[in-house]
Amino acid sequence: MRRLAGMLLLALLLAGCATPVTREPPRELDFPYAPEATLRASAQVLMANGYVVRHADADLGRLEAVFSRWPGYRVLVEVSGEGEQSRVSLAATRGGRPLPPQTLDRLLVEMQDQLGMWR
Amino acid sequence: MRPWRLPFERTIVLGIVLVMAGCQTTPSTLPAAEPRPAAECRWSVGDRAVQPLVRAAVDALEAEGFLIRHTDLALGLVSAERTRILPGYGDRYDGWDRRGMFGGIGIGGGRGGVSSGVMIGFGGVGSLTRDATQLERVSLLAGDGEVRVSRDIQVIDWRGELAEARSASSAEFCRRLRDAIEAGGVS
Repeated sequence: MRRLAGMLLLALLLAGCATPVTREPPRELDFPYAPEATLRASAQVLMANGYVVRHADADLGRLEAVFSRWPGYRVLVEVSGEGEQSRVSLAATRGGRPLPPQTLDRLLVEMQDQLGMWR
Repeated sequence: MRPWRLPFERTIVLGIVLVMAGCQTTPSTLPAAEPRPAAECRWSVGDRAVQPLVRAAVDALEAEGFLIRHTDLALGLVSAERTRILPGYGDRYDGWDRRGMFGGIGIGGGRGGVSSGVMIGFGGVGSLTRDATQLERVSLLAGDGEVRVSRDIQVIDWRGELAEARSASSAEFCRRLRDAIEAGGVS
């Protein structure tokens, strides 16, 4: 009985870390602002948090930023829409593994604050 | 009961602790730089056009030895990086006895004979290859009447592993960059 329990615990211990890479859905939110303004707000908020923007293209509606802390964080922002409407899609990885969408909520709130400041 | 055998309940508790501690927990929110980027890393430029600002920023960064990786004029973004060799970085962590500075002496015997040898040299491959590389990444965003700068530093050791990673949006760096941009980009 004890041996069985011990083996079960060992199996649990070993299995716990070997979780496969899960696909997390991106965190999405609609903004009543033009796509370029929304993308700019994402860059401003990320840089205010110490992130370094590695790539951004207003025409593509794409921005990639990194954060230098072990094991390495990466945020991908994609903006679509036209006119004064845009949809933001955020995804983040930590050490190459996707982070759950709720970790990006603070970023969206800060983006809303940033955009609200303008008007 | 043998002294080294743990009671059953204690084994269970220990096991649960191990199971829970064994894996990293994912953070509940994205990390942010601590301390926050210095106030000097954000400055107002009034209604200056973005293009001359970006041009001046590119010139200022290149003059500092940065390689421009990417620019986007619509957003007013410049992304750049520079690398620097940190000589002997690995030696801080390796013992002094693991690398021979002035060669070594060896005596060996076998098959009824004795042989000896003296090896003389300076340094050795070890100390040459243990230099680390420092990677500095900077992004600059101009627009909305202001300029923002963020910067981080990574040190990659001689094995190719990440030895240090930190956010480095420091007041000193941003002040110098701002001075260089304003000196070169008055238009």
